[in-house]
This record gives sequence, C-alpha cells and structure tokens, in this order.
Amino acid sequence: MSARTDAKSIWAARGAGSSTAYRLATLTPVLVLVAVFTLFPFAFAAVTSTRQMLLTLPDQTPFIGLQNYVDVLRDASTQNAIRNSLVFTLLTVPCVTVIGLAVALLLNQQIRGFGILRALVLLPWAIPLVSAGIIWRLLLHGDFGALNGLLLQLGAVHGYVPWLSSPSTAMYSVVVAHIWREFPLPAILFLAGLQLIPGEVVDASRVDGAGLWARFRNITLPYLKAPLLIVLIYETMISVSVFDLVYVLTGGGPGSSTTLFSWDAYATTFTFLNLGQGAALSFIMAAFLLVLIVAYLRIVRVDEGEA
Amino acid sequence: MASLDELVSSVFAGRIGRREFVRRAVLAGISAPVALAFLEACSQGNQANTGGPVHLQFMVWSYEVQTIQDNIKNFEKNDKSVTVSVQDTSWNTYHDTMATKFTTGSAPDVAYSSDHWLREWVAANWIVPLDKYAPDLASQKSEWAPYALQGMTLDNHVYGLPYYADLVIFIYNDKLIRQAGFSKPPANWEEVATQAKALKDKGITQYPIDIPMKKDDPWTIEIFYSMVYSRGGHLFDQGNNPVFNAAGGEAEQALQWLRDAYTSKILDPAVLESAEPDVVKTMGAGQHAFTVLAKYNLAELNLGQHDQKGNFKMALMPGSSNSTVGFVRFYALSKAAADRNHAQAADQFLQYFGGKTNGQYVVAKRWALDKGLGFAQLPLYDDPEIQKAINAWGNVDLEKQQAKVAAPKEGLTPWWGTWDVYAREQIGSVLAGSTSPKQALQNMATKWQSLKH
Repeated sequence: MSARTDAKSIWAARGAGSSTAYRLATLTPVLVLVAVFTLFPFAFAAVTSTRQMLLTLPDQTPFIGLQNYVDVLRDASTQNAIRNSLVFTLLTVPCVTVIGLAVALLLNQQIRGFGILRALVLLPWAIPLVSAGIIWRLLLHGDFGALNGLLLQLGAVHGYVPWLSSPSTAMYSVVVAHIWREFPLPAILFLAGLQLIPGEVVDASRVDGAGLWARFRNITLPYLKAPLLIVLIYETMISVSVFDLVYVLTGGGPGSSTTLFSWDAYATTFTFLNLGQGAALSFIMAAFLLVLIVAYLRIVRVDEGEA
Repeated sequence: MASLDELVSSVFAGRIGRREFVRRAVLAGISAPVALAFLEACSQGNQANTGGPVHLQFMVWSYEVQTIQDNIKNFEKNDKSVTVSVQDTSWNTYHDTMATKFTTGSAPDVAYSSDHWLREWVAANWIVPLDKYAPDLASQKSEWAPYALQGMTLDNHVYGLPYYADLVIFIYNDKLIRQAGFSKPPANWEEVATQAKALKDKGITQYPIDIPMKKDDPWTIEIFYSMVYSRGGHLFDQGNNPVFNAAGGEAEQALQWLRDAYTSKILDPAVLESAEPDVVKTMGAGQHAFTVLAKYNLAELNLGQHDQKGNFKMALMPGSSNSTVGFVRFYALSKAAADRNHAQAADQFLQYFGGKTNGQYVVAKRWALDKGLGFAQLPLYDDPEIQKAINAWGNVDLEKQQAKVAAPKEGLTPWWGTWDVYAREQIGSVLAGSTSPKQALQNMATKWQSLKH
C-alpha cells in the first residue's frame, strides 16, 4: 500500500470518527457493559440498602429509608469493625509504603544479580491472597506452626505461641501477613519512579556536596510524588477492603479482635443473611474510601508536568 | 411459521437439531441468544419427559468426596435415567456458600444440610418438604432415631433424608491418663480439670485438653451445648426463650470452666485457632489427652494414621446428667429442583443415598463401616457387620447408653443460624478474656431477643 493510500485511509477514518453514528457505534457496547456490570449492581445495592431485606423473610421487604444505615452505625460490632479497620489501615499503609520504598532503593543499586531479585520480589504479590493466608496460617499456628518450631529451636520461646488465638497478637499477625503480601507492588512502582530520575541531576548534586539524606529529600522524593500518591491511595483501599486474608487466617477472631469492616459486611450479608444491612455497610465503606482518597489527593498534590 | 414452543418441542423430539432450531428461530424474528437461552431453560424441565437422563447437581461439604463420587458411580450404574455431578466446599464455609448459591440462582438440586439451618432454609424458601415432593422417602421415618427425625422436621413436614446422625462425645487418651495414674476417665468437669492438671504437672502433655473453638467452626456451638446439657442444664425453654443467661446457671458454669481451663493452661492456648481437623491431628499426635468431638472422630483417631492410634476411648459426657447433643446432617431437596421438575430424579437418587436399595441402607452402611459415621437408620444397629466395625474403634454399648441421654439442639428457629455465629464470637471473647462469662451470656440473650423481633 502506498503512502498516499495510507494517508487517505487515515483521513477517512478521522472523518468517520467525527460522525455521531461512528461515536455511538463504538461507545454503545462499552456503555452497555458499564451499565450492566457497574451501574446496575450499584443501583441495585443502593435500593437494597434502603429496604429491610432479610433472606429468612423473603416476602417482607418494605422500604425503610436510611434505617439500615442507622442500625449498622449504632451496632457495637460495626463500631468495633470500624475501629479494627482503622488500626489495621494505620499500621499497614505506612509499613507497606516504607518497606516498598526501602526495597525499591535497594533494588535500584547497580549490583550484579539484582535483576533476578527484582523479579523474585514480586512473588508474594503474585500469590493469590487465599493461598497467602493458608501459608501464613501454617506458619503461625499455635499447635504446629513452622514459626513456632523455628523460635523454639532457636530458644527464643519456651513453648508454642498462639499467635492467632490471642487478641493481642492476632491483629499484628494479620498485619504482618498483609504487609508481606502487599509490599512488592509499591516496591516495583517506586523502582520505576527511581529509574526515571535523570542521572545528571544526581551527579550534579553529588558535585555540589549534597549528602545521602539531602539527595533523597530534594531529588528522590519529589520525583516519587506521583507513585507515592498511587501507592497511598491503592494501599489504603486495599487495607480498608481486605477480606481474603482475614477469612483464611482468623475468621475475624478470636472473639471479634480481627473483625475488619469488610469482614463485617460479608458476615452481615452471607452469614446473617441481612442483605439490606450488608449493602448499607458496603456503601459506608465506599464513602469512607472516597473521603480518604480525596484527602490524599489534597495532601499529596502532584503538579502538572511533575513526574 | 412455527412458534418458539413448537420449535423447542421439535428439538426435544429429535426432529430438528439445535443449529436448525436457532436458524428457524432467527427466521421467526427471535435473536439467536434469546432462542438458545429459551431452549436451555426448557431443557431443564423437559429432560425427564424426553427419556434422556436427568442431570442433578449435588452440593456437599468436603468430607470424603472420593467416597461420595464412588457412591454416585454405583448409583448411576444401577439407574441410567439420572446423572449426578457433585460440588463441594468446606464445612466451615458451607452455610455462607449455600446462601450465595441459593440467592444467585445457582441452587443445586440436592444438598447436604443440617438441623442447624433447617428453619432458616425453610423460611428463606430454599428447600421443600420431602413428604410433599418425594413421599416414599419420608415414609421410612419410623426407622429413624427420634432426635434425628426431630432435627429434620418442621411444622409436621419432613425436610430431609438422613446422611448421618451422630453424637457429640467426650474422647480421652486411655494410655496417657493411665500414665498419670488414673484408672478411669473423668466423670464430671471438675475431674476433667483435676486429671488434666495431673497430666500437665507430670509433664505428660503440656496442654492436656483441646477442643475446636475456632470462630468459624460450627462445631463450637454444638460442643458448648453438650457441655451445658451434661451439667443438666438447658439453653432455651420450650417456647424458645433463652434460659442460658440465668445467673450462676449451667451455661455460665460451662463458660467459666472453659475460661479457667484456658488461664490455667490445661486447655490448649491455640484452641481459638483450632478447627475440628486440627484437633484430630494434635490429639492423634499425643499433644492432648481430652477432647469433645463428634463421635465419628473416634474412628479416625483409632483407625487412621496417628501416632497414638488405638489409645482413644469414649466416655459418657462428664457431668451430672451425662447428656449431650445428638445431631443430624441430611440430604435436602431444593426448591430449585422442584421448579426444574427434578423432584422425581432426586427421589431416585436419594433413595439410594439415604434410603433403601433392595431392602438395605447401602450408603449409610458404607459410611458406618468405612468411616465410623453414626446413622439415624436404627435397624443398622442390629447389623452384625456394623456392630463388629464399631467395636473395632469404639464401644457399641456405651454409644447406645450415650445416645439414650442425647438431645437435639434447643432453640432451633429461623434466626438460630445468625445467633449461632454471634454466640461463637462471644464464647471466643470469654476464652480470650475480652469479656466475662456472665456478660457474654447476657450479650447472647440480647442478640437473641433482637433477632426474634
């Protein structure tokens, strides 16, 4: 095909692209998919959250307005789940971010063999959450956990420690497992950001006598603002909505010490069969996430053209 | 031009193929996907009428799935008119998985169920009475143990055919207690604590008692019921009102006993992360000497690959009344199966699985012989083969004695399943020291009242 014919077809395509029919034909399938898979479930959940919808009373689903929201927010178990989720998020997000950044800085060094390490570091993130949960349960179990075996052999403990049975250690155990599972993605995102920093800028700062901390604070960190924002938002969302790990590791126990918000929403819906309150909890969680995301966007403002 | 109904009939009669069906449907102005979906929907209800085998979906919890598949194969060999596919999920997640399946339109035809959930599932309109849809199956009920029949009956309708019926029993390691100088098992809970302390002090085991108390393990509540019953107590009165919260009552004593055992470290500190299989493993390894489990675990402990194999015995549930929970797990027929016109096929299938084939309870007997599962079909107790098998790992006479004082769970109502989950959380909180036994029982009673209204 000649260059002239190519230009013609591109021109024709551009012409077609500007027509209303073309736009409708290309956008409609996507809009239909979004409507079916996003808008409809969203609207359905919104309607459900305003009805008394108990599966054990299938014929009695009256409209009750915002009563489900009021009920769940007054419920002591929801308040406990919100507290637990806040603690969990406050512990995991900074740890995941700092560890991810530290690993990225390490992997950014030009050292032989680090290429393989960069691939290996993604491994925990590539493992499905349920599998990760099972691995950690086998590691931490108070009767036959491998970690207990190791600590006992090293003389660090005198007997097996029930990491997942004690309210004081169960939450930290879930936090550690979550950090292990989550840090690789931030590490890779930060590493990508680090590799975009121009070498000459770093060299110039060295020549000017800038120390390690000054280089990190004035060069590295500003260049990492965009990935940092992504990591903070993503990890907060993940921490607030984490479910699988708790499901496998502790089932929300002992007692309610690891009952997170997402677990509470799940249990309300599928264990207590209260679809109305379950939907209300999900909307509260979504609103909570939205507030957090807006707050992050305000705090870590990324100027145009930066990164 | 033929109507869609006529075209569908032609497909089932074999006069036209599916491709031709779609072609003609499109000519009639019906889109291909709609026509195919209609054909698919009709095929479910028409299978029985066309002479082709009816396909049943069978949902079970993950226990010996290979045996279940083998039983299905045997059934299909004898009955060519029905094919069955089985799906499984773990016992701990079974309730929630089934709730999802029933509400999302993927309900199986036949499913395992339990007396735990009967009222809930009936209230939600998920299962239908067998005496209405498969009356010949329910007609065998005169041969079932009364507590099992009671566990499958609601408003005078029978909703299940027994898969197995068993007892929650007290199991001890005879070799270990003899090492500690005891010649007989404990007769009450105080003696359990005394013997356990002796075992611990002599260094025989670090944590002599282990009981599955993991929050998501449904056994927890049945074990707690048993500990209350054995003290001569009750959890609910006949009107399903809570009595477990009576100050100083048997339920409070049972919870206090558990808390004391936990703090004095005679109860395994990992008890809150231990489900039934974990306890069987650690008991088998000799890490503990006492437990409370469903009776079939005694067969596993004495016959399975365990270090302490052969050393385990059952004792009457410690306490003044020796009472315990008798429970039933059963095959239920789903509403979806009835809507799909699969009730007849399910009847044939269940007749093999829970009923009689050539006058024999084939599958129930196999479970009893191979795995030591208890049974509701009382004539099986007279079977010499079964008597011999039970005595190889247990004690038929003691089992009968325990069965005589067994009782079904009290308070079974449509909201019991929800209350159960909350109650388990409260029991866990007591063990973990987050709440007192008295407060936990009060919370459980408050929850019950709120669910009731």
